[in-house]
Amino acid sequence: MNNSNSFFRDDRKSLFIATAMAIILVGVAPYFLDAYLVNVLIRAFLYAAVALTVDILWGYTGILTFGQSAFFGIGAYSAGLIFTHMGFSTANAIVAIAVGVGVAVAVAGIVGSLAFYHGASNLYGSVVTLVLPIIVTQIIFSGGNFTGSSSGLSAFQSFDFSMELWFWISGLFLILLTFSTWIFVRSDAGSVLVAIRENESRCEYLGINVSYVKICLLMSSAVIAAIAGYAFASAQMVVAPEYAGFVFGTELLTWVALGGRGTLIGPVIGTLGIDVSTSYLSGNLPFVWKLILGIIFVLVIVAMPRGMAPLFMRRSRRAQGDLMDKKNPVRIDRVASTVFEDSKVNAIELRGVRKHFGSLKVLEDITLNVRPGELVSLVGPNGAGKTTLIRCISDGNERSSGSVLINGHDIGNRPPYECVAFGIGRKFQMANTFEALTVVESLRIARTRLHRPSFADRAEFLELPDAAAKVIVATGLDKELDTETRNLSHGQKQALELAMVLALEPSVLLLDEPTAGLTSLERNVIGQILTELATVHRLCVVLVEHDLDFVRQISSRVIVLHQGKIVLDGTVEQVVESELVRTIYSGGAQSIGGHS
Amino acid sequence: MSILLDILTTAAILYVVAAGLMIIFGVMKIINFAHGGFLTVGGYSTLIGTMIGLNVWSVLLMAFGTGFFFGLLIERFVVRPLYSRPLDAILATWGLGIILGQVITIVFGREVQVVPSPISGASELFGVSYSQYRLILVIAALIIAGGLTLLLGKTRLGLETRAVIMNETLARALGINSSLVRLITFSLGAALASLAGALITPLSSVDPNMGVPWLINAFMLVMVSGVSFMSLAIACLVLGGAQVLVSTYANPVLGGMTIAVLAALMLRLRPKGFARE
Repeated sequence: MNNSNSFFRDDRKSLFIATAMAIILVGVAPYFLDAYLVNVLIRAFLYAAVALTVDILWGYTGILTFGQSAFFGIGAYSAGLIFTHMGFSTANAIVAIAVGVGVAVAVAGIVGSLAFYHGASNLYGSVVTLVLPIIVTQIIFSGGNFTGSSSGLSAFQSFDFSMELWFWISGLFLILLTFSTWIFVRSDAGSVLVAIRENESRCEYLGINVSYVKICLLMSSAVIAAIAGYAFASAQMVVAPEYAGFVFGTELLTWVALGGRGTLIGPVIGTLGIDVSTSYLSGNLPFVWKLILGIIFVLVIVAMPRGMAPLFMRRSRRAQGDLMDKKNPVRIDRVASTVFEDSKVNAIELRGVRKHFGSLKVLEDITLNVRPGELVSLVGPNGAGKTTLIRCISDGNERSSGSVLINGHDIGNRPPYECVAFGIGRKFQMANTFEALTVVESLRIARTRLHRPSFADRAEFLELPDAAAKVIVATGLDKELDTETRNLSHGQKQALELAMVLALEPSVLLLDEPTAGLTSLERNVIGQILTELATVHRLCVVLVEHDLDFVRQISSRVIVLHQGKIVLDGTVEQVVESELVRTIYSGGAQSIGGHS
Repeated sequence: MSILLDILTTAAILYVVAAGLMIIFGVMKIINFAHGGFLTVGGYSTLIGTMIGLNVWSVLLMAFGTGFFFGLLIERFVVRPLYSRPLDAILATWGLGIILGQVITIVFGREVQVVPSPISGASELFGVSYSQYRLILVIAALIIAGGLTLLLGKTRLGLETRAVIMNETLARALGINSSLVRLITFSLGAALASLAGALITPLSSVDPNMGVPWLINAFMLVMVSGVSFMSLAIACLVLGGAQVLVSTYANPVLGGMTIAVLAALMLRLRPKGFARE
């Protein structure tokens, strides 16, 4: 059983070896290096720790942050201020770290809830992280003698540690931090970060509270940056507003970008390399060195967006995936799909739902009940409002008025991830997947709502409900489990998204053209699966479909939308024979009644 | 009375500084973090122009031309490959700002240099005596706003630019050379930044980092303004006014962060900011 994930174990083994070697290196280095370099490296280690948090936020999760310097500054100033004004003692040192971390967490919580509210654009998040260091530096400036204003604080008493000891402390801090973040980003929980970077809205519709994840991440990053700042101030016995400033925050980004975002090791090496070489070269080539760095930085961003790391890494992530594939394919663990009880409550209940953009009315007064076990097809010409209706059912912020009840729960203004908790599963019209994740990883993201993912490990099995597993097998995706989604065909992406939605085990399934791009064979299998889900498992399935043959085969009920109104609601036969539908579809009427 | 003039002239200065950033953001959806660098370029153009004894108009024209030239080069070689990566464009243009700043430092040294103002002294207005140069900047802001509105509303290029703003794919399909529109937009934005640098030089002084403090405020103003020159004017008046009031009645240091904080809060409550749509 254990060997089923032996590649991951191998990977772990080399990680342990690398970590042990790094610790030995840091252990002996002070005996071989001169005092100046030791001193420079202490600073570089702490900067690299902050750069690591920038990599987690930006490289992995896609949050471009200018603000990590502010947390570094908060940690540094809590040491500087307390040691300057209250004197140094062990008790004060503990108070200072507690205050530093506490303030950093509180600030990160506030900033995070401001920057990452549901529906915030990525740019807005960056704007807020840009404002943060400006506020922090202005507060320091306005502190007068208390904060030392623009000249900062220096020559306060601090720990009576030798340079070597600080070197070991900061070096070990960086190594352990790199070690644990490495484990974390490769765990199942870590792939959620990449999923957020790749496709935030898909995450929301898989029941993941993206804002919450981002806020937690920012708070943890703030803790690490504050500790690094605290150690910096204690070791160097100097603090200045620049360390909390926007320029330093941007410098951190440049180091991460040069080293290689999303690689962890790249940013660490990048920061160490640049900071050390800067401290030697800026003396000899004062402005030229900074100019060279600027030119390299621009070249890297334009020509090598992955940074320098891929040049030096022998095995790319891609290659690892292939290795894993050959050695031991991930096993799919089929579990029976949930059978929902036939309750008295309607699965979907819409009361007077309207949607308008300005004066343009897209949906007018839609009132509708759908029972569990029904397979309803929504048909109508383009622009009839079908997709808008699906959107209004799955996101509380979409409709202009009226109410939506899912399994008896009023969705109010709830965001999609809360609607998912009521039982919604939605497949988008365009294949909506995570390009950089493999098929297995994507499916696992879909299971995070039901199974809390591990922060340290990868599960050995992929648990999938029967229906999702059938879709995977029918479309050949079971042979592509370790393929990155970006390399799949359009039809396979469609199928993968459908499988992801089914893996959520929803009781209300909303499918916007689920079979577009599939072969007719695959379409038949999916038709059977959907029929079985509705009849046996008592799911409520709502389908937007243009292929009217498919609609005739599987639907238990057809609703015709036209210009934002329900014009017909009945059985397949009733709709096929309706004169009204023929007029609406005019040319299309042949295809709906063509075979009768 | 004098505080009202302070508000008006501060808003005008902010408008002049932010206009170049806004046209680039509006058309290209790219935030030009080299904006500060272009302001500095304008400052040093003024320094050189004044030293070799050019008249005021030639100095301004030279600043505009220098900015335009650098804009052309940078758009072609750095910004164009980053169209599809707007967040990377922020970083790359920030790097360009560093390069501009360092080149200027190497050529001119890092010292602060003072350029004499072409117009000094005060004039009587509404019973108070007020810096003439600041009043002239209000006129300059009006001229820039008028010029841009005419350019966008009355010329063929303006029409094509508006088409690119609304729907670039469609515009391209209709035969509009959107690369050219982008090239000209970026260069014009850089030229306006450089012109702004020239205009603010007499108020402060010239040093290699003179543009950076302006960058954040300009950026925040553009964020709350959308793509309209009118809403930028309103944003400059409201937020610039708030800055003047906070600096005067509370604390100049708090005044320094007023625009950034208010803009961030405003975007939270109303993501469109001052824009109507």
